[in-house]
Order: sequence, then C-alpha cells, then structure tokens
Amino acid sequence: MTIDIPFIWTALNEIVKALPVTMMLTLIPLLAGFFIGLIVALIRVYEVKGLTALANGYVSFLRGTPIIMHIMLIYFGLPLLIDTFVQNVGLESRSQLIPISVFVLIALSLSAGAYLSEVIRSGITSVSKGQVEAAYSVGMNTYQVMTRIVLPQALAQSIPNFTNIFIGFLHTSSIAFIVSQKELTGAANIVASTNLKFLEAFIAAGIIYWILTILIEGLSFLTEKKVTAYTRGGVR
Amino acid sequence: MGKPFDSALIWGFLPTLVPYLVVTLQILAVSIVLGIIIGVVAAIPRLFRIPILSQVVIIYVSFIRGTPILIQMFLVFYGVPALLLLFNIDVSKVDPIYFVMITYALSNGAVFSEIFRGAVQSIDYGQSEAAYSVGMSDSQNFFRIVLPQAIGVAFPNIANSVIGALKDTSLAFTIGVMDLVGRGETLIASTAHALEVYISLSIIYYIVVLIFEKAFHVFEKRFNRHKPSTVSAV
Repeated sequence: MTIDIPFIWTALNEIVKALPVTMMLTLIPLLAGFFIGLIVALIRVYEVKGLTALANGYVSFLRGTPIIMHIMLIYFGLPLLIDTFVQNVGLESRSQLIPISVFVLIALSLSAGAYLSEVIRSGITSVSKGQVEAAYSVGMNTYQVMTRIVLPQALAQSIPNFTNIFIGFLHTSSIAFIVSQKELTGAANIVASTNLKFLEAFIAAGIIYWILTILIEGLSFLTEKKVTAYTRGGVR
Repeated sequence: MGKPFDSALIWGFLPTLVPYLVVTLQILAVSIVLGIIIGVVAAIPRLFRIPILSQVVIIYVSFIRGTPILIQMFLVFYGVPALLLLFNIDVSKVDPIYFVMITYALSNGAVFSEIFRGAVQSIDYGQSEAAYSVGMSDSQNFFRIVLPQAIGVAFPNIANSVIGALKDTSLAFTIGVMDLVGRGETLIASTAHALEVYISLSIIYYIVVLIFEKAFHVFEKRFNRHKPSTVSAV
C-alpha cells in the first residue's frame, strides 16, 4: 500500500461538502450551551437554594463522563422517555420520526452547557469584589451590577477559555459520525470506504480540521484584542 | 428481549463491564507515561530556543491540538502500517490497542510539552539568578530550584489532562479495541439493551473520574506544601 497523494485532494473536495453539518453540530450546541451555562453559573455563584445541588450534580456528572456517553444516553434514552410519555397521554408513538441530528444536538448542548458554566463561573469570580461593592454604593441593583459591571468583564476575561471550548467542540462533533452523522469525519469515512483509501481520506479530513482550528484561533486573538481594549491605555 | 427498559440490568451489567476497566486504565497508563517522555523531549527545543527542532515541535503541537483525537487515531491506525510496510514490516495482525496507545501518547505528548514549557517559564528568573549568585551550577539550579516549583505549577493542568485522556479513551472502540466501551458494544449486540449498558458505562467512568479527582487533590496539596497558604482577599 502506497499513499495516493493526488487522491488526498480529491477526498478534500468531497469531504469539505460536509463542513456545514460540522459547523451546525459545533455552533448550535455552543449557543444553546452558553445559555445553559450562564444560568447554571449564576445559580452556582448566587447559591440559589435547592437548585445549587442540582446544578453541581449536572456539571460534575457531565464533566465526569465521556461525551460519547452523553450522545448515546440521549440517543437511546430520550426516544424511550418520549414514547413512554406519549403512550401515557394515549397517542401513537412517533419518536422514530425525529432525526438523529436532533438527539446529537441536544446531547452536545448539554455537555457544552456543563463546560461553559465552569468557564463563565471562573470569569464571574475573576471580577474583583470591590467593583461590585462600588456599583452597589452608587445605587445599582443586583441585575444592573451583573449586566453592566460583572458580565462584560467576565465574558472578555473568558475568551481564551471560550476558544478552547469552541475548538474542543469542533473536534467533539467528529464523534457524531459514530451515530452515522454525515459531518466531516462521517464524510471522510464514506469517502474512505467507497474508494478503499482510508489514510488519504483521513489525512484530508485532518487538514480541514487543522485549518479550521487555526482560523478560530486567529479570530479569537482578534476578538480578544478588541473586547479587552478597555484594559489598555489606562494606568497599568 | 423483555421490557424495553429494565433498570435492574444496569446493576447486572456492572460486574461484566468492570473487569474491562483494566484495559482502559492500561491504555491510559501507557499513554500517560509515554506522553510525559514525549512532552519533556518536545518541551526542550522551545525552552532552549533550538532552531529547526523548535519549529518541528510547534507544528507537531499545532497539528495535535488542531485535529480531533478520532482523526489522529484513524491516521495512526491506517498510517503506521502503511509506513512500516515500506520497510517490509507487516503489522496487520497487531492488536489495535497498540495503535490506540501510540495515538494517545502522541496526543498527550503535545499537551504535556505545552504544560511543561509554561510551568518552567512561569518560574521567576530572579530565582535562577539568586541560585547562580550562591554558586549553583546550571543543573543544580534546574533540579533544585526550577523543577520542584514547576512541577507544582504544572500539576493541576496535568491532572486535568489525565482525566481528559481517560475520557478520550472511550473512542478506542471505534478501531475495535476491547476496552470498557468495546465490551459494552458487544454486550449491546448480545442483549439489545443499549441504554442500560451506556448507563452502566457512565457510572463506571463517573466513579473513576471522581476517584482520580480526589487523589489528584491530595497530591496537589503535597506538591505545594512548601508554599505558604495564601489568605484569599475574596
């Protein structure tokens, strides 16, 4: 077996068509996960009674188990829950009609929520308490303090961590190929097995992921410079 | 097939699955030890600014951090045999577990090299100057002053990476390795109770991760015992 270099280019052109699916499987979970993470982080920061234990358990369990477990648990568990519920209501079960990507998106959103909640929480705690006290002293309420003082700084502070999670989830989306999603890795697998050129196809997929990662890192660097502009030029 | 979901099976599956934890931990242990060796070797060119070699390390680290572990595993699984065949070595009958170990060692090596580099660079150079001023040699300075502190700095990151690597091993089954998940897959094939198997697997992973976290916490305290306990202002 020798490596067919020109085929890498052919495979690249074929696999890149699956890029929108990969972006969907990366961006939607990150967006949904951001809102889950924000709520969970606020619950944990403010130690909301009753909900803190739940939030702690959620973060701990999802960070303590591999993401493929989340995909499988949702993929096999959620239809069962839906079916039981629907049958109890007395309707016909239709969970087979739900596309697999919905389950993958739900599972990845839940994982992203757990990881992002930690990022947001560490961002919030990085804002010094003195600023919060100062805000209260000029008569701001808790909501104003959060949205005007703490969160803008916390989010800017969190950009390097967000980037890591963004890249992490771009790579995590490759696991979706195991439940036969046709994203980059899934497409590479198809190209590989139809042409029996496995190495070439996965080299092509690797190149695409690598370029994407470098782009995201560059983008994050630029955003960080823009968002943390207020920390420069002062007395520092 | 019986009931569609039988919670009793979750506990029933545990004794079948737990013995395969040994395989998972074996992959983890080998890849961590090799990864530390690769990481130390890869950190040196960048720390001492060795030309060419440090560029090679930059590309290696960037590639590993820029591609999913699944792709890396496929590249090793299909690439290493192709490479060895050029030297007329046939590895088609080798257990896929070795390819997994190579992949995770390379992957951990890249991560560790960055952790080590960051840790060594985090030590204030003034301390090295102080060490030289009292007549220590380069190696004395490194092994007595820099390294002990660097280990303390690197430890939380290493602990995180080890836990991450443990969870990453769950993908080894895709190339046919009989680890925890691999055994789970065969159990699903024979019982058709997928959900129960995955719940069992999740419980095992979760417990192992919790134990690791506890153990690392104890070690971290030990490594940083020379540091004065800081009284946080917050």
